[in-house]
Amino acid sequence: MNKGNDFRQGLGMAMRVGVEMMVATLMGALMGFALDEYLDTRPWLLLVGVLLGGAAGCLTVYRTVTSIPPAEADDEHNREDKKDI
Amino acid sequence: MAANPLHHFELHPIVHLSVAGVDLSLNKGIFIMWAGLAVTFGLFLLVGKSGLRLVPTKGQSIAEISLLFLRGLVDDFIGKEERKFFPFVAALFFFILSCNIIGLIPGSYTFTSQLVVTGTFALFIFLMTLVIGFGRHGLRFFGILLPAGIPKILIPMMIPIEIISMLARPFSLAVRLFANMTAGHTILAVLFGMAVSLPWYIGVMPFGFTIAINGLELMVAFIQAYIFTTLTCFYIGDVIKMH
Repeated sequence: MNKGNDFRQGLGMAMRVGVEMMVATLMGALMGFALDEYLDTRPWLLLVGVLLGGAAGCLTVYRTVTSIPPAEADDEHNREDKKDI
Repeated sequence: MAANPLHHFELHPIVHLSVAGVDLSLNKGIFIMWAGLAVTFGLFLLVGKSGLRLVPTKGQSIAEISLLFLRGLVDDFIGKEERKFFPFVAALFFFILSCNIIGLIPGSYTFTSQLVVTGTFALFIFLMTLVIGFGRHGLRFFGILLPAGIPKILIPMMIPIEIISMLARPFSLAVRLFANMTAGHTILAVLFGMAVSLPWYIGVMPFGFTIAINGLELMVAFIQAYIFTTLTCFYIGDVIKMH
């Protein structure tokens, strides 16, 4: 059961992170572009937006990859306990 | 059919309907959505009506296993004391799953391959998380834009980044489901087009591939429904726990 669980979580994570990165960058670019149109400062806010969006994408991916679901953390804990004995 | 692999995504009105000047024409997608709803409700109604037994029947054990699995998701991501979100999460999962699977039947329509559909789901979930967040935490909810323990010098940069990553959530939810379903069905359409237009001794190869890709699509249907539900739970849990 554990093996299937790991596989499903790994697959889920792989499918999540790619889109996450792309969408965040696009979102930043879109917000920068909209602000540019509004404030008439083309193209500077667009550039800032792309950079911030990329950073946001990296941050989201980082958070997704480092967050360990509680069930898995328990398994890790149990395994270590057994090693101690 | 072979000419345009995107042809089968087009929707044309079947029943023309107009209420007070608003076009409410029914098309294939809407009928498939009703079919998805009927399958979701019908299966559970069937299981519930046939009586629950101590030694479960096939239908009952499938329902029990899938519902226990979804309850585990809610417990993990939102919290054990927040089980009131469980019906919403379960309904969302089974509706998306049944729509994805109905779409794999040749001749039917993949309702979830329309961006407007997945976008509506995602927007609703996003607005729901905002309402839950402001309802639970009041104005302190803005603190979600400021992760704990960052240096003061980074604050002016972190707030826009957090705003972008917050606003990107509904888009990534919508685009992921839409893109996966559309891509899979486009590949199927291209391969079928090749199988039909080539001479039969070469055409059997793409035809064989369509069978394999159909199996893959069945897996994608489950995984995308699972991911959509997981992320919904994650987003709701995030605004309740505030990171």
